[in-house]
Parts: sequence; C-alpha cells; structure tokens
Amino acid sequence: MKPGLIYMDNCITSKPAPEVLEAMQAWLTEKFWYPGSFVSTGEIINEDITNFKATIASTLGAAPEEIHFTSGGTLANNMAIKGLAAAYAKQGKHVICSVVDYPDLLTNAAYLENLGFEVSYLSADSEGFIDLDELKSEIRPDTILFMTTIVNHVVGTIQPIGKIRSILESADHKIYFHADAGQAYGKMLLDVNELGVDTLSVSAHKIHGPQGIGALYQRKGVKLGQIIHGVRRIDNLQTGGMNVALIAGFAKAAELSFADIKATESTLRELSNYLLERIEATIPEVELNGPRGAGRAPHNINVSIDYIEGEAITMMLDMHGITVATGSACASQGLQANYVLMAIGKNHVQSHGSMKFTLSRYNTKAEIDTVVEHLAEISKELRSRSPLYNAKKNQEK
Amino acid sequence: MHPRNIGKMEDADASATEGSPACGDQVTVYLKVDDNDLTIKDISFLSYGCASNIATASMITEMAKGKSLDDAKKINWRDAMEALDGLPPVKAHCSVLAADTLQSAISNYEIAHGLKEVPEFTKDTIVEELKKIIYPKVGEDIVTLKMVKYVGLTDGEVLIDLNIPSFDQWRDNIAEEIREHLEKYPVVKNIQINM
Repeated sequence: MKPGLIYMDNCITSKPAPEVLEAMQAWLTEKFWYPGSFVSTGEIINEDITNFKATIASTLGAAPEEIHFTSGGTLANNMAIKGLAAAYAKQGKHVICSVVDYPDLLTNAAYLENLGFEVSYLSADSEGFIDLDELKSEIRPDTILFMTTIVNHVVGTIQPIGKIRSILESADHKIYFHADAGQAYGKMLLDVNELGVDTLSVSAHKIHGPQGIGALYQRKGVKLGQIIHGVRRIDNLQTGGMNVALIAGFAKAAELSFADIKATESTLRELSNYLLERIEATIPEVELNGPRGAGRAPHNINVSIDYIEGEAITMMLDMHGITVATGSACASQGLQANYVLMAIGKNHVQSHGSMKFTLSRYNTKAEIDTVVEHLAEISKELRSRSPLYNAKKNQEK
Repeated sequence: MHPRNIGKMEDADASATEGSPACGDQVTVYLKVDDNDLTIKDISFLSYGCASNIATASMITEMAKGKSLDDAKKINWRDAMEALDGLPPVKAHCSVLAADTLQSAISNYEIAHGLKEVPEFTKDTIVEELKKIIYPKVGEDIVTLKMVKYVGLTDGEVLIDLNIPSFDQWRDNIAEEIREHLEKYPVVKNIQINM
C-alpha cells in the first residue's frame, strides 16, 4: 500500500501545489543571489522580496513593510512573543493566554514565567472557546500582552476575536495582541485591521506552500525586541541566512489560496460537513469534539470513537494508505492524553479514542467515502476486541 | 493486523483485567484450565490499546497456551518482547501489561481453586509492582534501573523515594503509573512519592 495515498493530516503539513514548485525554480537556478545594494543582482532580489511581501501583505490586509519572512510559524511566534515581552517589559510583566493554545504560545509563556513574568492561563469551555469573563477579570494594570490561537489546532474552534478585541480595547491601557494564525490562514478571510492584532504568525506549508517558510505580521509602530542577532539582510528582525526560493513558493501558495478565499473556505466546509455526516451516519457512538457549524474551522473534523484507542485506529488506517492523526497518549511522545481535549473536559477514553481529520482542497468526496468505509470496519473490529466495549455490552444485558 | 487468541471467552475458568483507560491501555485475559493436570487448555484476550498492546497480548497468550500453570508463571514481559523481535523502549510497558494480566489470571485461578492463599500485602508486593513500571526512555523497569531509593509501608501508608531528575519529561508519567499499580490493593490508604 502506498503511504499517504489518502492524506487527511493537513494541519501538520500539506502537499505543495505544483504551481508552487514551478514558481520557486527561478530562485534556485539563475536568480540564486542575495538581496543587496549597488549591484544589479542584489537590487533584483530586493525588488523580488518587496513584491513577495506585498503578496503576503495583501492576503492579510497589511502593508508590505509590516511583513517579515521567517523560517516558519514557530520562529514568527517566538519573534512576536519574546519580542513584545522584551520591548514592553518596562510597562508591566503580566501576560494572558489560554490552556488550549498552540504549543508555541504555551512554551513561550513558560519561558516568560522563567524570566519573571506572570502568566494567566484562561480556561476554555467544552467546545474549546476561551472564557471571556475570565479574560475581563484577569486584565491588570501591568498586563502587557494577550495571545491566542485563532483556530485551535486540535478541535478547530475559531476564537471570537471581535469580542476579545473589544475587551482588550476597553482596558485603560494598551495591551498588545498576538495571534497564531497557523490553522486559520488560507482557510478563511483574515484582516489584521479587523482582527485588531499587533502581531500575527502564518506558515506556508499549511497552505500548500513549501516547508521552512512563514511570516510575521508586525503592526506599524509596534516595537519588537530583537531575538535573533546576526548579519542584517532585510531589516533588524530578519538576520542571517535566507531562502528566496521558499519565499517565492510561499507567495505563490498564498496567491492560489487567496485567489478566491470564500470559495476555498466553502469547498473545505462542504468536504468536512460531508465527512462528519458520513461518520455519524455509519459509526455508532461517536462524538464530535469542538463546536459544530460556523464556530468551527472549515477544514477540521475531530471525533472520539468510544471504547477504542486512536493509535491502533491510526495504524490500521495507515495499512490502507490513509494518513490521519489521533489525540491518544500511546501516539504521543510523552505518553500523555492530548492536553486540549483534557482541558475542554473530555475523559481519557474520549481523548485516547480521538481521531483528527484535517482536509485540503485536494481531498475529494470519493476519498472521504473510502476513509469512512475503512474507519467503520476498523472500529467494529477493535470494539469487538475491547474490554471496555464488552463490559458496556454486559451492563446492557 | 492478525492477532491470535482474540475475543471474549464465555465459559472461562478464570480471568483478570489490568491497566486502565487513564494509562491508555487495558487488557483482559481469559483462561480455561484442565482441572486434572493444571494446564492451560485455552486462552484469549481483549485489548483496549495500541498496536503494541495487541501484539504483546497476542504473543503472551500464544506462549502460555498448552503450558502448565507453573510453566506459564515463568513467562515474563522480556520473553514476549524478545519473541516479537523487540519493541521501542516507549512501548515496553505494553509487554509488561500483557504479562502482568496473564499472571493475575493464573493467580485468580489458583486462589479460586484453593491452590494458594490470597497473598499478604507487604513491602515485597510493592517492589514487585514497581518492577512492572517501565522508564519509557530506556524501556527498563525502575527497580532494575536503581531509580527506587526507598520503599516504606506502615499501616497502609506507602512511601516511595525515587531518584529522578526534576527536568525529566517522564516524571509525572511514572508517578501516575505507580499510583495506578498500588491503588488497586484495598489495604493501600495513601501513597507518597518523593522525587
């Protein structure tokens, strides 16, 4: 069986579009130069990068000079969070995020705690929405930063950014606002002015661009402390080596995803609705994790299949060439159940039995039919072997 | 995957369930024992767990089938792992669970048939339980690795001193496992783990 024949783990990484690979070629061959001044080769690259920045900026409603290219979403998150903390520590050392945030945000929060910052972790409800009343009550005179994950990476919850923004703006001092848009970018319309964010991170390889490139949006006038020191290439934040071909690929991927973002969104929504409908119609005792409907990202379906364990399901689907993800402890590096699912009140069995499908525009309904067919067979087989399922059937007798 | 001996046994002479969904895996072993020569006539299992869990339970039951209870008691988790040509260190605990469940099922049979007394809970029982706890980084148990510094037992109060660094990513996991293994004994009132 060919590995990854049917690929539904697009939140981890996605297949590069053929147009993207084509678009990168020039900068891997004749235009291999670095940006620079006084020589035409350097000037050409300067101009190319300015154009690519303009492309990415246009997908976010930003100005080109507000975009920095990074090695991916993680570097963008680090530059924003550590950068904001360093730049504004004099005004206060209190930061707010939530227990369901992406690991980039949580590990940076832990790092800031080590540096002497205080961090408040907001709780989330059973669908993954952060508690806005807690946000209101956690804001203090020394709060300098709020950060959030626009689309939850596990259960697809879209945080209510408009409401968050008005709470932050109703404080009597400025609270800087950072958002991780890794799972939101390219799936829905994002406008930095509408969102009201000061910094925002995006990644290319989640939208059919190449791996190893992302971008940081930094609102004009917002300061960031420098975290990577080295030779200056484009500006003080972007130092050291760079890869123009990846930037070119990223710009092409963004162009393709945003040519008609409404259509991209509705295609994904239609596929994921179909997937959920097929699962719920075919497999008994499954439950959707995260919200249903408009509060959910268009590409994410996360379900718990009761009484069985996700790593076994994942491996058996893999034998049919199907790639998906699970929240099971067995499949994790730390042998712990998925922290997002546990934080929104799921129990161990629900977390271990959770299956995450993240779709792309390259998936088809025929693929979904195949996946659900195999998933139903596998679930039936594993349930017949499960002591939990047998105990439950005994109780019913 | 084609595991052997899978399924519930309706007319089992003895059975045992070990593990819990909190740990991510649970196994039930069923035994059918010949009363005359005390050999395992039939054996089957159910598994809630990953592929390694299913594979080790399949292997352990296959190894025990047809053996006398005394011979089956000698089967341990290392044998099953070896028979499977090894497992990643992080999956060694699956083999421990399968072997442990087999031993519990045999013990349940022996107790039910008056072949042995219900064992008294002592410090040795605690040490035996700790030998079933695998340090996932290396796939060895914490007693063999000399991570257990002290074991105390007074009136159901268990005290365990462990030698494990504060930055170790498996710390919480090991503490959770220890509690899981000892809390099943009704005499255990409290477990204190010092790291």
